[in-house]
Amino acid sequence: MSLVAIAEKDFQDTVRSRGMIALVALFSILVAVFAYLVRPEGQGGEEFATEILLSFFVGPFLVTTLIPLVAVVVGYNAVSGERESGSLKLLLSLPHSRADVVFGKVVGRGAALALAVFAGFLLPALVLILLPVSFNAGAYLGYTVFAGALGVVFVAIAVGCSAAAATQRRALIFGVSIYVLFVLFWSALTGQILDAASPIVDPLPASADQIRTFLEVANPTTGIEVLTGAFLGEQLFRGDALNQQISAVSMLVFWTIAPPLLGLWKFDVDDL
Amino acid sequence: MTAIELRGVTKEFADVTAVRDLDLTVEEGEVYGFLGPNGAGKSTTIDMLLDLVRPTEGTVRVLEQDATDDGVEIRQRTGVLPDGFTVYDRLSGRQHVEFAVRSKQAGDDPDALLERVGLLDDADRKAGGYSKGMRQRLVLAMALVGDPDLLILDEPSSGLDPAGAKEMREIVRAESERGATVFFSSHVLEQVDAVCDRVGILRDGQLIAQDSVEGLRDAVGGEEKLEIVVSDPSDEAAETVRAVDGVSQVNRDDETLVVSCADDAKTRVIGALEDSGVVVRDFHTREASLEDLFLAYTEGDAVASTNANGSGDSGTRDRDGGSDESDTADVPIDADTGDTTADDNTGDTTADGDDAAAEEGDR
Repeated sequence: MSLVAIAEKDFQDTVRSRGMIALVALFSILVAVFAYLVRPEGQGGEEFATEILLSFFVGPFLVTTLIPLVAVVVGYNAVSGERESGSLKLLLSLPHSRADVVFGKVVGRGAALALAVFAGFLLPALVLILLPVSFNAGAYLGYTVFAGALGVVFVAIAVGCSAAAATQRRALIFGVSIYVLFVLFWSALTGQILDAASPIVDPLPASADQIRTFLEVANPTTGIEVLTGAFLGEQLFRGDALNQQISAVSMLVFWTIAPPLLGLWKFDVDDL
Repeated sequence: MTAIELRGVTKEFADVTAVRDLDLTVEEGEVYGFLGPNGAGKSTTIDMLLDLVRPTEGTVRVLEQDATDDGVEIRQRTGVLPDGFTVYDRLSGRQHVEFAVRSKQAGDDPDALLERVGLLDDADRKAGGYSKGMRQRLVLAMALVGDPDLLILDEPSSGLDPAGAKEMREIVRAESERGATVFFSSHVLEQVDAVCDRVGILRDGQLIAQDSVEGLRDAVGGEEKLEIVVSDPSDEAAETVRAVDGVSQVNRDDETLVVSCADDAKTRVIGALEDSGVVVRDFHTREASLEDLFLAYTEGDAVASTNANGSGDSGTRDRDGGSDESDTADVPIDADTGDTTADDNTGDTTADGDDAAAEEGDR
């Protein structure tokens, strides 16, 4: 109950945040522009329009780059911002535990971001409907759900960092690092680590390729790409890549729960 | 039943000891004023009651539960007006109170609470646009949600105008009559005088005095100042008064004799003057003000009060305290902030009213 109260309060607060609204508007306009630019010219491409647009253009260029950014912006100050400004004193003067605060914020801000992502996909949907191409509403809606899920995962990571950070400044550094790590450097970094660790990896029963695949989908952005690719190709939770998809789902769940828990572990013992 | 009980509580931060070996008990139903200069450790103590800060040593119990282990249960029955808070800029006043109602699972009507603190007309405005005083009222409304058994108010009247401070006192009184315990910190002394059953004074993280306001006054200044307007303020008249048992000091200021004397010597002073033929036109007494009391305790040498808790040695500071306030000059216990100076004005012949001294009669 306490958690719900905080989540609701935080949701109301976050949906009014100008920063998030501006970023989502930008996102929405960019997706709409992409939809307009890559519209198929001939008759033959029509039935693939929605799927191709999403998996080859919007996905890699917009969703996996912009949505984590919006999520980090929404999440990084969740706890540290209130701690620095003093509104955390109001929150903790009421009968809330610190765990309620951290997880309430994950839920509230996650929900606010998910709503914003849905709103952000409305304008491009309108463009697609108005263009003379076939619009696959089911695929489009499903894709939106995955995009929202990606946002929630990054909000959870950012809120976890925010809870662990004693100051806004540190929370911001954490947030930027998360973004850089997952969006820009993940494959390079994990590849390096895997190469360096090959003497340890080689005797393991798993092959280096399997480990490489696992590490790739351990990145939430790749995980979502794998899942949306399967979804749009109507291969979700079946076919050869089933194991990979299950790994992706488990890692997304892991990233939603572990960072807030770790953040809470530090936040719970701090003097505020 | 005790509402608040601190036993041997010490709080050390990385660089300072904010509170040291503090014992403090507040009984249920009491209105307790927690006084002390900035940096004395008041806010740290309140933060420990709310489990925002955990004690290094000792136990903190609130409403007979452990502050750290049962924090949520305690805060369910407590209303808090913290110090140094900010509101949620993007949420309206009503949304703030609604949040508090939902958090406590209470049945209060948010509008009724907003009305009580005088904010109903601004309930739909975003709290980010509120003035300091309005924010203070808003959080007070949140504190009153669910008729709490204990109200903890940290500097409740900061940011309030005199009318607002009066309303605050009325609310404190009303809550006390309802049966709530009220614990508030302040450096606004008039507040304390008007509403407190008991007062504790904190200095350098230690409780240096604890008593009713009257008790503190008795302990500090058994003496009162008697101002007597006489028809013929001669040196003889001053000598007559000085000879009375219990009088410690007599100054002459134009037609007025300012007499420092024990409480029970007042009638003897008047009697002696009349016996010697001096006509007493008017006289009034002036109690040591709370200001005097406060300065005597917080800056001067600690004075034994009925429930004094030992004298504080200097050297501790609150974590946000600037300079160490305890090494200012000793202020005498009967520190006089009024308009007559007592000790050091003999021989001052440039009689300009206030400083005209009669004591040595050397005009």
